[in-house]
Amino acid sequence: MIDHVGTRLMITLRPWWFPAVTLGLFEWYARTAGKSSDAIAPPSAALAGFVSAVSDGSLLSATAFTLGSAALGLLLACVLGIGAGIALGLSPRAARLSFLSIEVFRPIPSVALIPLSMLMFGFGLRMEFSIVAFACFWPMLLLSQAAVLQVEPRLLEVSQVLGLRPLQRARKIILPAITPRLFVALRLGVAVALVVAVTVEIAANPNGMGYAMIIAQQSLNPGLMLAWLMWISIVGFAINFGALKLERAVARRMGQSA
Amino acid sequence: MAQDTVLKINQVAITLGGREVLSPTTLDVVRGEFVCIVGPSGCGKTTLLRAASGLLAPASGEVLRNGVRVTEPSREVAFVFQDYGRALLPWRTVEGNIALALEAEDVPDAQRQGRIADVLKKVGLLQHRQKFPAQLSGGMQQRVQIARCLAQQPQVLMMDEPFGALDALTRQSLQDELARLVLNDGLTVLFVTHDLEEAIYLGDRVVALQANPGPGRPSLARMLDVRIPRPRTQLATREHPEFLRLRRELFAFIEQGHD
Repeated sequence: MIDHVGTRLMITLRPWWFPAVTLGLFEWYARTAGKSSDAIAPPSAALAGFVSAVSDGSLLSATAFTLGSAALGLLLACVLGIGAGIALGLSPRAARLSFLSIEVFRPIPSVALIPLSMLMFGFGLRMEFSIVAFACFWPMLLLSQAAVLQVEPRLLEVSQVLGLRPLQRARKIILPAITPRLFVALRLGVAVALVVAVTVEIAANPNGMGYAMIIAQQSLNPGLMLAWLMWISIVGFAINFGALKLERAVARRMGQSA
Repeated sequence: MAQDTVLKINQVAITLGGREVLSPTTLDVVRGEFVCIVGPSGCGKTTLLRAASGLLAPASGEVLRNGVRVTEPSREVAFVFQDYGRALLPWRTVEGNIALALEAEDVPDAQRQGRIADVLKKVGLLQHRQKFPAQLSGGMQQRVQIARCLAQQPQVLMMDEPFGALDALTRQSLQDELARLVLNDGLTVLFVTHDLEEAIYLGDRVVALQANPGPGRPSLARMLDVRIPRPRTQLATREHPEFLRLRRELFAFIEQGHD
């Protein structure tokens, strides 16, 4: 019985031993060889930095700012990108006409828009979420266009023989048929939105998690910097995990497994 | 007699990708008649059905329904596709799939439940109304599609190899159910199949098409009346002398390939 519980415990702990050993080694290295360095801090110092960021409220406010602007930008990208994607999917003519414009604007690196956006909006929420929206718009556009093109042609014939009007066809056939794919696009968009938001904060915008991290680095506080890095990765993991769960739930509900 | 012609297929020819799939074909279907179209694969039987329903425009000739030229699908004509798995909305339940036909017609909510229950009773799926298509067997899914077509209250029912993908036992029970439904509702049916016995068993008339008839020769090669009394039963009808005679004639024709 004891043996059995022990085995179960070993299996649960198995993925954790490598990070634990690495952290231990790092702690040991930072306290001995790197003791005089301004660039290295032991994990215990990062933990202390994390506690201080929690207690002075900066963790909550910076996280809220970054996630808020990422969410706003993603929302804007979803509304515009899905709308335009459905239109391009339904109309081959519109797709042909817009092909060149899309291929000219799409490859612009989103962070290259920081100077322009800063001129237009100044520092703050608007400049950040507009860049996030630009970055997320293209995948949403292209994926929703592709989703419309992949709607089962038989269902479109069914809507013809049943005599559905064009608006009914869009609402009752096409939109539900592409919903699972839209949630795949949303999951990709969530990851892009967080990356771009943090990048903008590191590069220019004096707000959010990215800015807090770069400030900690510039004020020679590597413990706090590492604390932010760890926190950003935890937040990223959590929202990607949530988006994946959501995508799977929608796929099951909309009969993608059939 | 002439005013009873529901469907008039008049010298209809169809080309797909530059190839003539169906040479000019003429066929009249009378009200309440069950016409089966048979022939080897590639003879254009599905194509003819699609043209008759308005899903496909003929290269020449015309289709008249009740004397009016058919240019697009109509609610008066229901179409049962062979691939029931693709023709049902996987995100809607059985009754949701049937409701789609009523939504297209803007049937008031008050009448919907009654009409849905009505057609579900006819195909024996009333107790499965809340299930999703993926939870049903192939035969039951095809019943849902047939129920959706009945909910349209059509004048003509077009069926494109509806039982071709089902196992033999399910196919036989669906054949009998279909014959009973058609007899009760007085539907006119155009039924495409590659199964000769199925065609004789169900049809009042069997039309045989041939593949690649050659220049100047018609696609439509045989037209046989099936004078076997209804209701028909799987055992007795399939041993009826008339059934055996028609079967022999059709098999001989198909094996020969052409006239």
